Amino acid sequence: MTQFVQATLYGLLQGGLLALVAVGFSLVWGVMNVVNLAHGAFVLGGAYVALELHDALGLDPFVSMVPAAAVLFALGYLIQRYLVNLVVNAPIFITLILTFGLEMVLENLLRVWFTPDYQSIPTGYAQDSLRLPGDIRIPYGKLIAALLAVAVTVALVYFMRRTRTGLSILATGMDRGAARLMGVKARHVYALTFGIAAAMAGAAGAAEGAVRTFSPADARSFTLFSFVVAVLGGLGNMWGALYGGLVLGVVMSWGSQLLSGTMVNAVAFALLVVLLAVRPQGIAGKAFYASRVEV
Amino acid sequence: MSTVDAPAPPRTTTVVPAVAPWWRRSAPWVLLAAGTLGGIALQTQLYTAQERVVGTVFMFVALATAWNLIGGFTGYPWFGQVGFFGLGAYVTALCMYHLHLSFWLSLVLSGLVAGLFAAFVGVPLLRLKGHYFAIATLGVAEGLREVVLNLPRATGGGGGLTIPTLGPDAPTRWLGNDGFYILFLLIAAAVVAVALAVSRSRAGYALRAVNQDEEAAAAMGINTTRTKTLAFTLAATLTGVVGSAQAFRIQAIYPDPSFDTSITELAVIMVMIGGAGTVLGPILGAIAVQYMSEWLRENYTNAHTFILGALIIVTVVLLPQGFVNYLGDAVKTRRFSLLDNVRRYRL
Repeated sequence: MTQFVQATLYGLLQGGLLALVAVGFSLVWGVMNVVNLAHGAFVLGGAYVALELHDALGLDPFVSMVPAAAVLFALGYLIQRYLVNLVVNAPIFITLILTFGLEMVLENLLRVWFTPDYQSIPTGYAQDSLRLPGDIRIPYGKLIAALLAVAVTVALVYFMRRTRTGLSILATGMDRGAARLMGVKARHVYALTFGIAAAMAGAAGAAEGAVRTFSPADARSFTLFSFVVAVLGGLGNMWGALYGGLVLGVVMSWGSQLLSGTMVNAVAFALLVVLLAVRPQGIAGKAFYASRVEV
Repeated sequence: MSTVDAPAPPRTTTVVPAVAPWWRRSAPWVLLAAGTLGGIALQTQLYTAQERVVGTVFMFVALATAWNLIGGFTGYPWFGQVGFFGLGAYVTALCMYHLHLSFWLSLVLSGLVAGLFAAFVGVPLLRLKGHYFAIATLGVAEGLREVVLNLPRATGGGGGLTIPTLGPDAPTRWLGNDGFYILFLLIAAAVVAVALAVSRSRAGYALRAVNQDEEAAAAMGINTTRTKTLAFTLAATLTGVVGSAQAFRIQAIYPDPSFDTSITELAVIMVMIGGAGTVLGPILGAIAVQYMSEWLRENYTNAHTFILGALIIVTVVLLPQGFVNYLGDAVKTRRFSLLDNVRRYRL
């Protein structure tokens, strides 16, 4: 029983962080119909910004979430404005391949600058655990990371719904032509969307850096998890990303208790395929073609 | 005495079906035969290491052409090709290791198993569209890898399997570098021949119709589910055969390299850069990308993925429809400007 509760809690914490990793991916997909295969590289970019700030200034990785987000926002804005916007109307393959090329470039840069070794950002407290009755332990690092991640995700949802900028992003995602007629500058809004997504990835990366080791080779798996979370939650649906992240985290955590080795991944993918076949709009969302962006 | 003129008799025109002259119809086949003979002739000029590199180019020609059947003609973003490649590789390894079947029988079995599996999963998967199809097929490929990884008794798990190729245990002797060069050349030629046959057939036009507008195609009487599933099964069968040959060539196979997603990604890039939905495009794309990648790996070891990624980005921005399609349009419309090309898809 203790083990079950422990696994569930771990899964929820892991899932909260996964939600922040994936929310930007889901946003870009929902608003621009672009699957950003470089998303995982952005996450790692955030982790390395936090690592550099820690080595240079001794900054805590959770504090570094802010500068990491800022750096990645600038990078994302420029990439969308001057690169992805050039082919954004092309068939989906084209944007897929473009972002794949981008991922190759970014991963190679990370490998050259930071070596391919696994690194971590040490903190004084992340390895200590909070002890709950019943011999359940929660590491502080994972707890803080998950809470911050959920808070940032929720803040993003409110930003999207309550501010002029957020609403113009949603409007562009729903009907770009109509939004442009209303005076929305689509090029700028797309770049802003991509920038925000990259910023979320950067913040998530800094938090990931505090709780685990990372290397440039992890870019793929971050992208893949974002993919799964975005599909589970329904595209462009940011609450959905939160549910999707939590569900995935808990399922994987339970699975690793019950199944040997990495069989849990096979179960996760089987679940995904079945879910797609039965309910392509995700577990939380409405049909995405009815209203592409559900925030 | 009628004042009304009798209606003019209808002019009889015999409708001649537009059939290209025989030399244009047979030109692709002649080119294919010439290319195959050229490949055999090229072998005499290569030393062993080069033979291996060119053999890999042939492998990617076959993979890209097979991918093009469903990804190019039908427009379904198939991101799980490597699943069938790995399936073919493991079926061959298991048949040769456990059952001591000959390689040639295993090759056929690999194709059959990959095709049957594709027909089985294809029916539900091909109901999905766009990115959903992409991620579902990716999920199938990753799932297969995990299954192989977690059945250590049969597949050796992460430790891999080594196909016996020498000595009395070997069901079929290893073919040698020369043998594998010819084998991959013939497989590539066979896959291209299948693509040529499909391209000009009724089924090929049905696939293109599905790509342009699936509902309209269904309304015209095309059984879209059957057409898509057939194309998917065919592509998977060919991919399984390629995987089988590759497994025998490298002998020691492991789950991660056999189900490496970058194999799918390379095939997609080759098709897209060459020109999706054409027969020539994937061939040119495979040769160009694989040659470039090999050359960069040799000359710029540290930065080769950086340069390759940058080249992919530039090519995709300048030639979003692929080289062969661009050339076809440009010759027809006499507009060769690449900038016009960029303007077409930008925001």
